Formats: sequence, structure tokens, C-alpha cells
Amino acid sequence: MQASAPHIRARCAAVGVSLPSHPRMRSWGWICSTWLLAAPAAPRCRSLPAATGRIHPTVGDGARAGQCLSFPPQQQQHRWPCCPTAAPPALGVGQPGHGAAGRAGARPPPSTKAGAGSGVAGARSSPARRHTSRKTYCTAATGSSHPSVPGTADTGLIPEQPAAPIPTRGEDRMLRWSVLVLCLLLPCSAQQHLEEAKRIMATTPVIDGHNDLPWQLLKRFNNQLGLPEANLTQLTGTHTNIPKLNTGHVGGQFWSAYVPCETQNKDAVKRTLEQIDVVHRMCELYPETFACVVNSTGIEEAFRNKKVASLIGVEGGHSIDSSLGVLRTFYHLGVRYMTLTHSCNTPWADNWLVDTAEESPVHHGLSSFGKTVVEEMNRLGMMVDLAHVSVDTMKMVLNISKAPVIFSHSSAYSLCPHRRNVPDDVLRMVASKEGLVMVNFYNQYVTCSDKANLSNVADHMDHVKKVAGFQSVGFGGDYDGVTGVPTGLEDVSTYPALVAELLRRNWTEQEVKAALADNLLRVFRKVEEVKMSLQGTAPHEEPIAFKELAGACRTSYGYSDTSGAGPAPLLPAALLLALPLLSTLLS
Amino acid sequence: MEMKRNPTNLLLWLMFLSDTVPFTYEKSMREQAIKLMQDTRLIDGHNDFVLRLRIFYQNRLSKVNLREINKTHTNLAKLEAGYVGAQFWSVYVLCSAQNKDAVRLTLEQIDIVKRMCNSYEELELVTTSQGISDSKKIACLIGIEGGHSIDSSLATLRMYYDLGVRYMTLTHSCNTPWSESSSKGIHNFYPSVTGLTAFGQEVVKEMNRLGMLIDLSHTSYSTAKAALHISKAPVIFSHSAAFSVCNHSRNVPDDILQQLKRNRGIIMVTFNADVLACGRKVVNISTLADHFDYIKKIAGPESIGIGGDYDGVERFPEGLEDVSKYPSLIEELLRRGWNEIELKAVLRENFLRVFKEVEKKQRSQGSISKIKESEKEWTELCGFSSLHSNLINTHR
Repeated sequence: MQASAPHIRARCAAVGVSLPSHPRMRSWGWICSTWLLAAPAAPRCRSLPAATGRIHPTVGDGARAGQCLSFPPQQQQHRWPCCPTAAPPALGVGQPGHGAAGRAGARPPPSTKAGAGSGVAGARSSPARRHTSRKTYCTAATGSSHPSVPGTADTGLIPEQPAAPIPTRGEDRMLRWSVLVLCLLLPCSAQQHLEEAKRIMATTPVIDGHNDLPWQLLKRFNNQLGLPEANLTQLTGTHTNIPKLNTGHVGGQFWSAYVPCETQNKDAVKRTLEQIDVVHRMCELYPETFACVVNSTGIEEAFRNKKVASLIGVEGGHSIDSSLGVLRTFYHLGVRYMTLTHSCNTPWADNWLVDTAEESPVHHGLSSFGKTVVEEMNRLGMMVDLAHVSVDTMKMVLNISKAPVIFSHSSAYSLCPHRRNVPDDVLRMVASKEGLVMVNFYNQYVTCSDKANLSNVADHMDHVKKVAGFQSVGFGGDYDGVTGVPTGLEDVSTYPALVAELLRRNWTEQEVKAALADNLLRVFRKVEEVKMSLQGTAPHEEPIAFKELAGACRTSYGYSDTSGAGPAPLLPAALLLALPLLSTLLS
Repeated sequence: MEMKRNPTNLLLWLMFLSDTVPFTYEKSMREQAIKLMQDTRLIDGHNDFVLRLRIFYQNRLSKVNLREINKTHTNLAKLEAGYVGAQFWSVYVLCSAQNKDAVRLTLEQIDIVKRMCNSYEELELVTTSQGISDSKKIACLIGIEGGHSIDSSLATLRMYYDLGVRYMTLTHSCNTPWSESSSKGIHNFYPSVTGLTAFGQEVVKEMNRLGMLIDLSHTSYSTAKAALHISKAPVIFSHSAAFSVCNHSRNVPDDILQQLKRNRGIIMVTFNADVLACGRKVVNISTLADHFDYIKKIAGPESIGIGGDYDGVERFPEGLEDVSKYPSLIEELLRRGWNEIELKAVLRENFLRVFKEVEKKQRSQGSISKIKESEKEWTELCGFSSLHSNLINTHR
């Protein structure tokens, strides 16, 4: 049962099964669903309409909505969201496979103002970038050596389950009523798991790798933290506020100092400074909650003081405008990781979109200057973050970095072949280099669709654990950076529920603590050790070649050789032609 | 008695004394100046050496030996010979970078100051008045020259403060969107801005709150008046001279000097020959000393400091060609009757007074918060001293 239950849960999740919101009912629901899955009656998955109040799964006739129904044979073929090879069968609302129908075609990208459920104001980057070309992601994936599910071909189809004997209607009803009575009487082990999760997290809170609250503060309040509506103890409409962080047992958070790619070659540096500044001011305004720290011992001290250790990660190499001096000053300002790219190439590194048909590789990983950036990050003691980069960039960095690296918010490509995720061979490299993959909760990276649930996220954590070891797993929710987060993980208060699920899946306490915090602390300490070992090494100071830079918003000040430069400011041609005339007139 | 009977001997004695006494007097003046500066090493308000490092070496410190470089006014040996105890290094970037990459360039200049200080044992980066007092080395501080470096962003201003910047000259030779420069016709940025706009006033207030010194060199008359009116802390002119002695737009008129006195700020007199002599051909130590005398008369000796502007301009008075020559100025002032108390104030004490008052104003405003950072970590990066107290007192 154990072997098949996760698989079946995955299928349930794939068609958009959601759990009742009441935790007690949810835990009963898991027991019941587990029992029922083992029953001769074929398992069914459903999404529970909120209004019914039914326990999940409900007993009653299995054919109606709100029940965990077995899949009719034609519905057992679920397409992995990215790789539609044929149109799915038409499915009605509430029927299993509804989600699959939605995913399989070229659905228009969701609005930036999705806000469904969480009311979040919108993903920070153009969702069109994330969601169009879903087919092309899969075109790239098809034929790759990374089958999405073991045993499946590159069509992305999961294998059909053998048909189980179907009970009569009367037997089925009797069985379900019996189960309901038992469920009501028996103690709920799911609740125990949740209590256990909270107990563990009381001393080992979660360190999350990536949260975009600073971006929300910019968009909603223009970073004016003094506005009444920006009060973080009461903030609504975001995944994150202070009460939710407390409920979620968040003990450490890397706040993202993100600025969009459109700032590249313009004012990215200034805008990034502004985002770093807003994190500093958050810590100042709420000193009883946040402790801005810059090292592993700082995190540990914050744990002891029951505060949220607050660190800063810059999301995108465009923020440094190809300047090692800027990189160093960011480090001085407390930045402790940099994601080498966001969803755009820098003059020295390729981003994940080059692994799709949308863009072509430019550097096939890193340029020579890009390698210098990584070396300088090692020397400084700044973690290298490989979320958002291309596979070539991932591999190149993993090969050259002297310190362990992280993926601050990426999930497993094998379970959802989205190019923001990490393929298995890279996971193995991460393991060998003692790095860390902090699993992203965004639906599109979890199920490659716009729906997911907590169990799906746990699947990713299971997968990373399986391929790379529990020492390589972490949490990188991406809260407030995305619109669609899984049912059960609606905001930053829900981490304990995810931990409870891991416990339910027989993760040991040691493994859970590792994922929560110990792995990140290990990586951070190792990065600090590498920095110490490189003490005395001269800072890298060879600037990037001017010709590798683009954009009119820069001077060539300090460069003696600007030959081959792009659109550097030049005298208008007319003026050049007029100069000889002028000199003739004046002589 | 014998002298009376021998006028020739008396005459000979007088001739001898007339030769040796001035010589002795001169020698002792020089010695006195040096002794004074040994005890009270100079705090200089403005030096553009770091600009030269960008121009000549593209900020590649590995290409240059700062102890011996001889194509600049400044090197470490000369600083020591000049008894410089603390130097504000200007992280100036050209006005033509305004609205382009001024922020990036400024960060790079800040970075090279930090790297410079970390690379040479003679140097020590500090960020507080106590740091200057405690330092046995050449204390390095950072000053931004030109509000265009913040790109109209208060957050960027705050981040510069966090990086160790302790003064900002509100303008260089170009207007910013919020402040007016004294230079006209060099650049065409924001020609309609006069004095300080509302945002400019916010900048000044934020600088007070942070504890960053407000530097009014290069600013227009209106800007200086407005800043002096608004600022709750003493202000400085990091490298300017007296308008009444030489009516150059870079210099400070009498009424502002008087306002500066009331403000308890200082004017750090500059050695730039062009603003000292108003076109006169002969520019020497005496020319400079005239400015010191005049400002002392108008604003008092407590309002004066020294801001050489070495490596920022080309022409310097004869006898003051580089940063080793400061004792010659002190010698001249001694000769003009300045006493040791006044000279110690000019060399160091006035600036420290201003800096302490600015720090006190910072502590009296805003909330206190602590950013937990490892002092050791910062120290090893750049030889900070008194950094821990600075971080604890950092306000935003």
C-alpha cells in the first residue's frame, strides 16, 4: 500500500484534489483515504467543494462530485502537464481529470492579478514569460534523458493502473459508512504528526530560501513602510505577515532583493539598493520580530532569541551591472546570496529560458567574466544561487565553485519538467558538492499546472531526498513572488503542515530538521569556511570588457579601450561632419 | 660695560644677531610647525586620489604601489611626511554619469577605498569621530562628491552611509533634480532648479538623521543658505575658500561664513590655486594664508579646517605642490601670529567637534536598532575600528 499510495496520491493531486480546510477533518481524511486506497474499491480522487463540509473522502455513492472516485480506464491516463501529445478526453467539472484537461492544451497564461485564494497582487515577473511556451518547454524535455516519471516514455504519460474489481453499489455504500464510523472514533495520527511537526519546529524552525515580500512592499507601498496599510503585523493580501510567520515557525528567511530584468542596463543597481534598504528598515521597524543577520552564528542566535533571522538574497546577476565592485559592496550591505540570473541572460551567464525554444544560449553557461564572478563570490563568502539559471550554468558552477551552492527556490524536474526545476543529474552533482535544493512551492513548478497541493510539494522533497539525499533538501517557498501556491500551503503559516506530511511519509526527525534548517546552516558554514581559507587572496579587479556590455545608460568612464563597444555615447554624425567646417570658419 | 666702550663690537654683534635670529626664528617656526603636527596630525577634508586610480589604473590596485606612485600629488609616503592623520577620500564620479551609471560608479569608488585601506598597513578605514581619535595610522574616511551619486534615492543615500560614507557634497558642478550647483554653464542638467527643492530638503533631513555630514562645497549660494537653515547639525565646506578674498563662485561669501559660525560648522580651506588667487599669476603659501586670516576674522578660528583638494585640480600654490607640504602652511600661520590652540583647532579639533555633534544629533533622532553583525568579520574585511559601536548606533 505504501508503495502505491504516494503514486495514487500524486494522481489525485494531478487532477486537483484538495483537502478540506479544517485540519482535523484533513487528518481524518488522510487516514480514510489511505484505508480506502487499500480497499478493493479502486481509489478515487476529488476536489472537495468547500460548501459541502464533507469529510474527504466522503462516503456515499462514488459517482457524485465530492468523492474520491476511481478513475475510469480512459481517465487513468493523465498527461503530465507539460507534454500534451493528444487532446485529453472531455471531462466534466468535479470529475477526476478535470485538472488534466485544463493543463493539456495551450491554455492562455493566467492574469497577473490572479489573486485567487490568497489574494496576492500578482507574480512579480511577467507570467507570460513563465507560462507561454509550455509546449516548447516540453519539446525540449521530450527526448531528453530525464523521464518525468519512471516507466513513462517521453510522451509524459503515466502508466495505466490495472483495473480493480469494482464492488456493487450496495457493498460500496456499506463499506464507506463503516469507514466513516471508524474514522470518527479512532484517534487521528495526522493530528499527531502536526503536533510533532510543531514540536520539532519549536526548536528547529524553518529557514526558507526565498520570499518576495520586499517586492510586494515596493509594488504596493513604494517601500513606504510607515504607511498604516503597510503595517506588517496586520498586512493583508500577501502570503507573508508577522503573525503568519510566527504561526509557520519561520526562524530564518532570505528576503529577496529582486528587481525586474527590465532594469538591466538601466537602473538595476539603484533599484537593488532600494530593495536591500527596505529589508534593513523592516528589521529596524520590527526589532521584536526580525533580526537582520549576516552569518550562520547570527541565525543561531536569532533562533535562541525567537526572532526571524533575516538575510538578503539578490535575485539576478543583472543587479550588479557586471561590476565586481558592486558585488563587493552588496556583500558589505549584508547580501549573502546572489541568484546568478533571473529570467534573462546577463552579459556573463545564461538563464533557464535558453533551455527552452524561447531563447538561444549565449554563453553556454558562464563567460570568462562569469567564472570570475563565481570566484569572487567564493572569496567573499556569498552563496551562489542557481535558481533561474540554465542547466549548463548549473553544471558549470557546480564544477568550478569552491564552496557548496544552493538552489534557493527550485523543485525537481523529474516530477514537473519545467525548466526552472533541477534535473536529476544536477541533483546528483549538488549532492556530491554538499549543496542544497530548497524546494519551490509554486504550482507551475510543482505540478506543471496551475493547481497543486501540499502532497505534491512533499513529493518533490521526497524526490530530492531520494536522488540527492536528505542532506540536500530545503524549503524555498517563493511566497509573495508567485500567484499560485498549493492548497494546504496558502501562506507562510503552513510550513508545519508540510512538515507533518513529511513525518507521515516516515521522514525521521533528523531528516526533517536537516531540511528545515540544518542543511542550510551546514552550507552557510562551509561557505564561510571557504571564505576564511581564501583570506589574503586579492579581490578580483579585472573589469568586464566594455564590448561585452550593452545599453546607452552607461558611461565608458575609466575604460581606456572602448573599441568594439556597443551603443556607447558617440557624437552625432552631423556634428562630426560639421567640425572641419567650423575649424575652417574660425581660422 | 665693555660694550658701551666698543661700538664696533656692538655693531658686529648686532649684525650677527640680525642674520642668525631670523634664521633661528625660521628654523624654530618650522620645528614648531612640525612638532605641532606630530602631536596633532591633520584631518584633511578632501582628496581625489581615488579618482586618479580609476583614470590611470581602472581601479586595479595590483597595478600600482600606493607608497611610491609619483604621478599624483598623493602617495602614502607623502601623506606621512605631511603629517596627515586622517583623510576624506572623495569617491567622486563625473557629472556626465548623472542619470546613467552614477550609482554603479560611486559604489566602485567606495569599493576601491575599502580595498585600498585593507591592502596597506599604513591605512585604516574608520567611520566615527572616535575612530579618528583612536587611530594610530592614517585614518581613511569616505566622502561622496555630488548628489548625482544618489540618483535621487534616499535609500541609496542610506546604503552609502552603511558602506561608510560620512559626508556628501550636495552638488558637484552640475545641478541635481533637487539641488543647485555653484557652477553655471558646464553642464545642462536641471537648469530650473534653484537652491534646494522640497526633496532636497528631505535629503538634508535624512542626512541629519543618519549622521552624515552635509558638505556645501560646490553648491550655489541659495543651496548653502537653505541647507544652513534646515540642518539641525553643523555642516562643512570640505574644500572651499573665502569669496571676499577671491570672488570665485566656489568660494563662500561673508554672510554665509557668519551663518556657518552660528551653525558651529567649519570651512575646510582649499588649496586650489584657481579659487585662491582669482587669476593672479603668483600664488603661494601667503595667498592661501590670506584666506585663513580672513575667515578667522569673519567666522573665528573655531570655524576653520583644511581641505586641500589634492589630485582633484591641477594648480597648487608654490610651496604646496603635494600632500607632504602641509607643515609649510602651518609654519606660515605661526608666522602670522596664530597660536598653537588655534592651529590645533584648524588641524583637527574643529573637525572632530563638528563630527561629534553630527553623531550626537544622529543618536538623538530615530529609533535605535541593532543589526547583528560580526565585528570580526567586518574588521577583517577592511580594518574598521569602532565599527561595533557604529553598527549599534546605525539608524535609518
